[in-house]
Formats: sequence, structure tokens, C-alpha cells
Amino acid sequence: MKALICFLLAFAFVAPAAEVERSVIQITVFAQPPRWDVPWQFNNVQRWNGTGFLIKGRKIMTNAHVVNWARQILLKRLGDPRPYLAKVAFVGPDCDLALLEVEDERFYEGLEPLEIGDLPEVRSTVVTYGYPAGGEQISYTRGVVSRVELQPYVNIGNRSLLAVQTDAAINPGNSGGPVIQDDKVVGVAFQGQPGLENAGFFIPPNVIRHFLKDIEDDQYHGFPQAGIKFTDTFNPALRERLKLPGDDQGARIDAIIPDSTKEHLQVDDVLLKVGEFPVASDGTITYRGNIVNLGMAVTEYQHGEKVPLVIWRGGEEVKVELPVYVLTDDAATGSQYTLPRYFVYGGMVFTPLSRDYLVTLGRSWMESVSQDIIAELYYRRDMEPEKKRTEPVMLADVLTHPVNVNFEVKGRLMVDKINGIRIDKLEDVIRAFESNRNAQHTIEFSPMNHVEGLDRAQADQANPEILKQFGIASDRRL
Amino acid sequence: MKPLNLMLCALLLAPVTLLPAASGDLARWERSLVTLEVNSQGYNYIQPWTRRSQSTQKSGVVIGPRSILTTAEQLNDLLLARVQKGGRGRWYPAQLEWIDYHANLALLTSDDEEFWQGLRPASLMTKIPLSGDARVLRWREGKIEARKMEINRARIETGRQTFIDIMHLELNGEVPGVGFGEPVIDGSRIIGIMEAPAGSGGLAVPAPFIKSILDARTKGDYRGLGFFNFYWQRAENPETLKALKMEQTDHGVIVIQPLAKIGEESILKARDVILEIDGFEIGPEGDYQDPIYGRTMLEALATRGRWAGDGVPMTIWRDGRQMEIEYKLPKAEFTDEMIPDKVFDQPPEYLIAGGFVFQPLTVPYLESWGGDWQRRAPFRLAYLKQAIPTEKQEALVVLSVVLPDPYNLGYQSIRGLLVREINGRKIVRLPDIEAALKEPRDGFHIIEFARGDSPGKIVLDAGDLSAATARVLQRYGIDQDRLILGDSN
Repeated sequence: MKALICFLLAFAFVAPAAEVERSVIQITVFAQPPRWDVPWQFNNVQRWNGTGFLIKGRKIMTNAHVVNWARQILLKRLGDPRPYLAKVAFVGPDCDLALLEVEDERFYEGLEPLEIGDLPEVRSTVVTYGYPAGGEQISYTRGVVSRVELQPYVNIGNRSLLAVQTDAAINPGNSGGPVIQDDKVVGVAFQGQPGLENAGFFIPPNVIRHFLKDIEDDQYHGFPQAGIKFTDTFNPALRERLKLPGDDQGARIDAIIPDSTKEHLQVDDVLLKVGEFPVASDGTITYRGNIVNLGMAVTEYQHGEKVPLVIWRGGEEVKVELPVYVLTDDAATGSQYTLPRYFVYGGMVFTPLSRDYLVTLGRSWMESVSQDIIAELYYRRDMEPEKKRTEPVMLADVLTHPVNVNFEVKGRLMVDKINGIRIDKLEDVIRAFESNRNAQHTIEFSPMNHVEGLDRAQADQANPEILKQFGIASDRRL
Repeated sequence: MKPLNLMLCALLLAPVTLLPAASGDLARWERSLVTLEVNSQGYNYIQPWTRRSQSTQKSGVVIGPRSILTTAEQLNDLLLARVQKGGRGRWYPAQLEWIDYHANLALLTSDDEEFWQGLRPASLMTKIPLSGDARVLRWREGKIEARKMEINRARIETGRQTFIDIMHLELNGEVPGVGFGEPVIDGSRIIGIMEAPAGSGGLAVPAPFIKSILDARTKGDYRGLGFFNFYWQRAENPETLKALKMEQTDHGVIVIQPLAKIGEESILKARDVILEIDGFEIGPEGDYQDPIYGRTMLEALATRGRWAGDGVPMTIWRDGRQMEIEYKLPKAEFTDEMIPDKVFDQPPEYLIAGGFVFQPLTVPYLESWGGDWQRRAPFRLAYLKQAIPTEKQEALVVLSVVLPDPYNLGYQSIRGLLVREINGRKIVRLPDIEAALKEPRDGFHIIEFARGDSPGKIVLDAGDLSAATARVLQRYGIDQDRLILGDSN
């Protein structure tokens, strides 16, 4: 009798799963990421695998990181030996989601789109479908929803969104695969965390829906932020100073970054409610029974939308409609998915300072460059906003040529001025060289004020030769 | 069995070969070489109110009547020193007579007449060999141990106990545990004093450098070491020189960052080309031909018989013409730095209020994160090491840690934040905090941290502060709520 029940249960489980798995797609990608230190070049072609699934509108959803820098994307359906060529229709680097399209009509034959469900309850069971490493066929892993929290999304590296932790194994190749509960997609498997065992993370339905709504105008914007830092309000003296009644509500605004938020909020305002969510004194809200950071509430809105806030200011409640936007001024501190900008002149390779550039210097990149460069990238915005450059420019390399052979600098330095012009962004480099009428160009570097001279006429003459010598098709990408 | 026995014999014989009979040329050193025992006070900058004592031994050498030379290292925060002659027997009391951390030199004496009986001063060489073999001496179990080391070169680099560049002698040779004031000798005279192990050898303070300082000291001319307070770059790129309106390309270096003490201005300007210093032509790589040390980096000219406050003649190129200037050597002083490299001969300063521990931001504090503090300490603090002090901000105070108490509920996790203002008063040193806490705002203390720190501000109840401080001191077993040594630090 016992054996029979097990069999029936198994049958009951497998039957609907068979419908789901037909819509789960195996993805093979041949990709070629750029070289950030040699910005006109690309790395060797790499191959990796991921998973996707069909959704409404004849689109295949997967992770952004599955299709980053793809040169070719091949899809395979369950039981169909043919590979189908796909292309990226939309990509959201911050939420690590992408939508693919296939031109070949045969791809869609017999496939039913999967429906997006709701955020699964903690302790409930979910099943991850995918094509992980370790075999060729579709694989299922069952797990429990462990917790729901704001987590860093590693594809971009500098943004956190809601994520669900599960103890179902999520391995390389699972990325982009659906997490299923009651035949509906309740998540997209996307990342693990080194050091954590039996823990995988998936992207919850609210993030998936935000992405799908965002692209309704055929353009992806991203997840907006209020750009505030806040503190808890545990300390009785602090609450007294803020004239804040009770002891369990409100998070104090400690700093505000974007001007658009400064117009509506000020430091020492206390957030009582963000959207529909009351804010606790530790800066959390309760989202469908889960305690999460209040920042999550803002990410429910679209770029440019207004978030209704209730704040406590000067001893009374005030209602504020805060417009929120996708913040971009810290883009260089996260992974970027547009080709690196650069300019080559006289053998000098100029490219914007970014985290992507620094990691090319090796694992101990923090020791490979001056502390000033790290401060410029990560801290200047907060510490000395008036001194921050829009786009700090690095001299990444000096391509050897008689015109520059006497240079003491060999690269890895931040450019301060060229011909007396302060370099705030890459375009300034071009302007500074092109507008100079002196016999020499002078290039000054930060922070030590090192200077190099370059004969202008010789450099102008040498430039085409250097580009040819080093196989650089264009002297710039802007 | 046999090969093993032979090997044992070889090992036993080895020290003997290193020890020529003490009756030979080493015998005279028995009357000059001494052992020092140093007992000093140690501190824990995480809990600046705590103290410990530490003891170590090092070598010294008698170089004059009642005068023992050694390195300055380990002699800071000295509690008690003793000295032993002959490598064994009685320890005599010793007194620190003079110490110069920047030069890494110290002189000790003993007021016990008996100690000096039988001792004979050794002499310092005025010109030293820059290659060949030398011997390093120390007492070991009642015998002089003389280990051969090879002189590699003299080189300029940042001193062991200072931020300035000074002359060092580099020696090769595997001598374990060397680098604690042992004399390096060539027959009967001192070539240098060992100051540190380095790679498969060690570094010594060269004798001519020591002698020049001691001689100046005897004459009353020594005012401490000065240094060149500017950064320079090589002038090997002729196009850079052309841009500076200078055609001459065979010598000189380009000043890129002239610095000066607060309230002073450097005579040098950025983009000056230094052609000569003190009569020595400077090469495009920044070196000159030193009569003693050979090709040497120009920094050596700041300590080559010139002391703090002395003028050093320089020939420079500025705005298309050559000119003569006199560069006044600023004195090397830790207190001139915004984040002092060293804090010697004083306990760490601190102020505890309501469980909040405030301390001056110093390198010894940052070293609480370990030897590789530059990587491990909070970046925002470590990065400030290179900050240049200004009249408005000549020092910094950090809220180092919070000792948890109901008073500071919600703030217990705060670590390592730079204090910008308290109750609207700018904070530069600890006395500013004392003053600021006397002026609460509407019954509150408002502490604001440096821009970008998180949190940027905290609010405390001014009325409860004293009681909270008393409670924290009692609970954490701290005897004093503050140690503030005045404006000198």
C-alpha cells in the first residue's frame, strides 16, 4: 500500500510537470566579452550554457548574464534535436533578466507560454527546471523557500533587489531557468553565494513583472532608487530630538544623493510610509509577510513614477510625492554592458575609469593602482562631490613608438589635465588634444601631478602608424 | 650511520669557523660591544586606556667616553634600560641620553662607574667600503659571535622609524635574528649599525651618516634631520623639458609637487627643474655622484651634513631661465602630519563620553588592523594617510568604537568614523570635543561625521551623558575617562 501511494504521488507530480518542461529551453551561448584595458579588443570566444522558458508574447525569458556579450545564441527545445538561432530582444542588467526572440516559426510549435505566478510563501516547496552542468538532459531540483530579502544582484554588482533564497541546488547552467510552483513561474534561478551551502537564489515575480512592464514602451530603463541613506531610530534621545512618538516606527534619512530627491526630502525627515508599506524603526517594511529593507518598496515603481511617502518632519506628518529615477552616476562602479569607450592618440590609450577596467589588472587590483584612483571611483561622490569628475579618465596603456618612448609613465594612471584643460570626461581628452596649438602637448596625471610632454607634429604623424601597428580599426569609440 | 656522524661534526664545527680566536682582532671588540636590555611600555590602540610592558634585548657599542651607540628602535616609551658588558654577568642601570627616531639612532650611558671599567670606545669610519665582506658582532652566551656579511650597496629609502628618506647600507648574508643595533665592522672600525633584517640580509645605518650627526651634535649644531619636502619626476623626456621651455636635457629633475609646513610656503614651484643641489649636478634619473656612496638618489643631499633649518643651495630652471635659490630644510616632525606615522614616548590619547571612544587618527591606531592595515583598515581612514594638513584641518579625530550601554542604544555598531563637528563646533583635536560637549544644543549633543560616513549624524541626550560615562567607566573597568596631552600632539 505504501509503495502505491508513493507511485500515485509521483504520478500526480510528474503529469503537470511534463507540460511545464516542454516550455523550458536549453540555451547555448558563444560570447566574447570586451577587454577593458585594451578597449578595442575582445577576449577569446567563450561558450556557456543556460536555461530559459517561453512566456507570453513569443519571448523566451532568461538571465541577462546568460546572454551578456553573446555573439551567437542557440536554443534547443525538449526532444527536438534542432538548434534555433535567437537574438536578444530586451535586457535588464540590473535585474539580471533578458528576453530572447526566435525568427524560425517552427520553434514555437507545440510550446505553451508559462504563466508568471505570485511570490511563494516561505517554507513552501518549489521546483527548479533547467539544464545545469553535469549532464545534457533537463534537470529538476526541489527545494524549500528559505527566505525573501533584498540581495545584491551580482550581474551588475552595485544594486540590490528582492530575491528568494531556496535550498534547491542552483548550479551553472540553471541560470535563467524557471522556478515552478503550482505550474506557474514563481521565480527565475539566477545566482548562488560562495560560502553558502545548499543555498540558491531566484528572481521573484515582482521583479519579473517590473521588467516586463518596463519594456512595454520598447525600451528598458531599470529599477529606480530614491538615492537616500537612512538610519534606525532606536535611540531614545534621537527620537526625542525628532519629536517622534512611540518606539517602533520610522527610519531617519541620513543622507540624500540625487538632486531630484533633495527637492522633496531633507536629512532628518523620518520615513513613516513608503507607498503602501509602513516603515519600522529599523528601516524595514513587511512585504507579503517578509521583513525587507524599505528600499524594496521604491523598486516597485517605474522610472519617473512618483512614490507616495508619509514622512515625519518637524513634529508632524507630511505627505510627499517623490519622483524616482534610475540612478546612473555610479554606473562605473558596477559591471557595464556597453562596449568600453576609448581614445588613442600618440600611442596613449585613454579609457574611462571603471570597476570593469580595474578588475582587468588582476585579483589584487586594489594594490595595482593608487588609492586615489579607488577613492575617485568609489568614494569621491560622497566625500567630496564638488571635486568628483563626471567620468574619470585613465591612461590605460602607452603603445610603444619612438614618439612616446621617453615617457616615464607606462599607464594605469588617472589623467588630470591635458594642455591645461581639466579632464572631466573622455570627450575632454579629444578636445584638449585637438584644440592645442603649441609645439608640445602636456599631459598631467593625478594625484602626484606627474607631467609628460609629447611633440604635437610628430604625434599627429605617428598616430595612423601606431593604429595600424597595433591593429586598431578606429582611434576612438565614444 | 657514518654520513650522519660526519654531518653532525660539520654542523658542530661550523660556528667555530665563524669565530676567529677572541684573542685575535675580535678581542678588542669584547671591550666595546655591550648588550642592552630594554623594558618599555606598550599600548593597545583599540583600548587606549590599557597598558602592558614589554622587554627585549639588543646590542650597543661603546663609541666614546660613557657613551653607547645603538638604534632608536625599541627604545621608545622606555621604562627601564640595563646594560651588560662581556656578554654575561651583571646588568648595570642604563640611561637614555639622546634619541633621534628619524635617524634611528640613540645614545645611552650608565651612571655606574664600575660598568665603564675595562671598556674602550670603538671608532666610526668616515669613508666606508661599498663592497666586500664585513662582520656583524653580537654577544651570544658569553662569547662574541662574528658573522660574515657581504656589503651589497648603499641606498636611499624611507627610514625604519620615519617618513623621510635616509641612507642605508644593504648587506647580504643569512644571519638569523640580526638587525638590533649590532655593529657591522671592518677590522677595527665600525662600518654601520644593523637596523633591520631585509631579504636574505639586513640593513645598517652607515657609519659616516652616524658620525656626521654625532659630530654636529657635539658641536651643538645638530637640530634634527631635515628633508626635501617635495615630489619630483625624472626629466628623461625631452619633450616635457621643451614644454617647460628648457632645451638642456642631460641633467635635472622636475618638481611635481612642492609641499610646505602649515603657514609656510615652499621656495620651489611645480614644474621647476632642479639642476644642482649643494653643488652636486643632479642626473635626469634624480641621482648624483656622492663622494662616499657613489651614485645616490638626491634625497641623500638633505641629510649630507645639513640639518633641519639649514639652507641648501639649489640651481633650478624656472620660466625659461636658470636661477639660484636656497632651500631651507624643514625639520622632520611626526606632529606635522595630518595622520602622524608614529606616536612615541606617550600613551595614546582618548576621550570617552557616554561609551563613545574618541581618539586622534594616527598610524598606530590604524595599525590596530594589523601590519597590512593599508588594505584591512577602512579605506576612508587609510586613504587619509596621504592627506596634506591645512590650517583649518591639521589633525583628525575618529570615533573609534562604542562601548555598549543603554545610553548609546542604536549606535553600538559604529566604528572608525571621522568626527567633523559636535554641537556645531569643528573638531580637529580632542580638546575641541571637550569644549563642544560643554555646549549642548537644546539639551542634545549632535555629533556629525565626515561627509559620506554612515551614519552622518547621531543625537545624544546631553543631560544623561555624565551618568552614562560614569556607568561605562565602571562597567568596563576604565580608570580615566580621558587622556589628553595638550596641543603638542
